[in-house]
Amino acid sequence: MDILTILFYLVTSVIILSSISLIIVNNTVHAALLLVLIFFNSAILWLLLKAEFLAIILVLVYVGAVLVLFLFVIMLLDMPVKKNISKKLYLLFSTIISIIMFSELYMVIFFHDFSESININTISESNNTYEIGLLLFTEYIFSFEVTAFILLVAIIAAIAINMNEKQRALRQNPGKQILENKKSRLKIIKDKEL
Amino acid sequence: MITMTHYLVFSALLFCISVAGIFINRKNILLLLMSIELMLLSVNTNFIVFSHYTNDITGQVFVFFILAVAAAESAIGLAIIVSLHRIKNSLDINLINKLKG
Repeated sequence: MDILTILFYLVTSVIILSSISLIIVNNTVHAALLLVLIFFNSAILWLLLKAEFLAIILVLVYVGAVLVLFLFVIMLLDMPVKKNISKKLYLLFSTIISIIMFSELYMVIFFHDFSESININTISESNNTYEIGLLLFTEYIFSFEVTAFILLVAIIAAIAINMNEKQRALRQNPGKQILENKKSRLKIIKDKEL
Repeated sequence: MITMTHYLVFSALLFCISVAGIFINRKNILLLLMSIELMLLSVNTNFIVFSHYTNDITGQVFVFFILAVAAAESAIGLAIIVSLHRIKNSLDINLINKLKG
């Protein structure tokens, strides 16, 4: 049993245990921190699979941006930690359904011979990031631009959803401007001393 | 020696756990969003496993796109949660019935 096998079993057991505790925990902050642990261990797992670029992206984008966003939202909402009353029934049903799903997936994985699709002839000399960039900016350039547009739309949508009317107070109101007349704007004051 | 099957079984297990999480966390929409992130993670792991064992880098490019779309999705989802919490003062998805669907 070499060191990589031990590392694989260690990382996967940490991920599985912390994901089980993520779905049954009541405190949302603990759940977000468990998700950080899961993402870090997944980055280690992806490094074992020689996907260095995506492992770094997972830590930077997910742990650095998305999970911090989760923690900010938890802080903004300020929910009380309370017990779920109807959790038992949901727990039973979800366990049954996920066991059925897992047994089906297990059968698919074990009764399908993946060895015919394995191709170990072409071993690349260049590094992982270079290869992804080469493919991303030639063959998938249109998808890449669409992804950039999706991110722009997401930024605008996230701002527009949470913007209320008071924050737009510096805007002109055309209806009100049309309804104004001379009497409402001008007032003649007679000065007695002149 | 770790084979492809080890990774695939792990990925299937993670996916099933997160499906169970969607069933359990009906009182808290934030935990539901976290379970969706977990599902996406297991699918991404599957992509990378196949990419590694078939020596085809296209799977990793696809994971890149999935990560970008998932980040956009969670940003919009969290914005909706914040505005929903402002209206309903709760995160229970049983209370979200404004459209009466």
